Amino acid sequence: MRKLLLLLVLALNGCAIYDSYFMTGFDGNEYQLITQIRVDASRFVKQCGSPSATANAVQIAYETEMFEKYSEQLPRNVDGHKASIELNQIAQGLQERYEVGAPVSSAFCRVKYSSIENSAKILQHVIGDRPR
Amino acid sequence: MLVSSTDSEFAAAAAQVQNLVQQVQAGQMSPDEFNELLADLQRQLEIVQDASRLQFKEVLNTCINGLITIISNM
Repeated sequence: MRKLLLLLVLALNGCAIYDSYFMTGFDGNEYQLITQIRVDASRFVKQCGSPSATANAVQIAYETEMFEKYSEQLPRNVDGHKASIELNQIAQGLQERYEVGAPVSSAFCRVKYSSIENSAKILQHVIGDRPR
Repeated sequence: MLVSSTDSEFAAAAAQVQNLVQQVQAGQMSPDEFNELLADLQRQLEIVQDASRLQFKEVLNTCINGLITIISNM
């Protein structure tokens, strides 16, 4: 039995084992940040076209930037940080549209928030599953 | 045809592109906005891939810790 277990371990890629065993553990702050993004995106999507749309875009862009910067310095978190960069880019794109004063269609605003919410949900799941 | 792909992520992305094209044609959004949303789709697929890799490591982590527990109890 012991030999079988040893063989199983050796059969796996060494780097994968190392990365997995020493991966970043659960971080309550990280989980809160991504949950906040998800909740706000689900609320802001209903306010596209309203007077608060610009302020909402600034708020969600601030939150995704905070999430990205927080993930950046977590040790052994390459995949998490890469995902946070992508999520931040989605939100920054919305804020930039409002900043330049270009007309922003409600359809565009809704799709943007849906993308942010869906991505945040996916990330929330894996962040919540981190080893404790 | 792409919408009916067996890859669920790919099929969902294709369906979303189809939906976006219809909205542009209906004048509900500008071509510029459409281009940005296409770039966002690519970003979302990257997020799915990053999340899949994280999920794999989490499962492996659980397995390794389980193995360590079994071995240490032998």
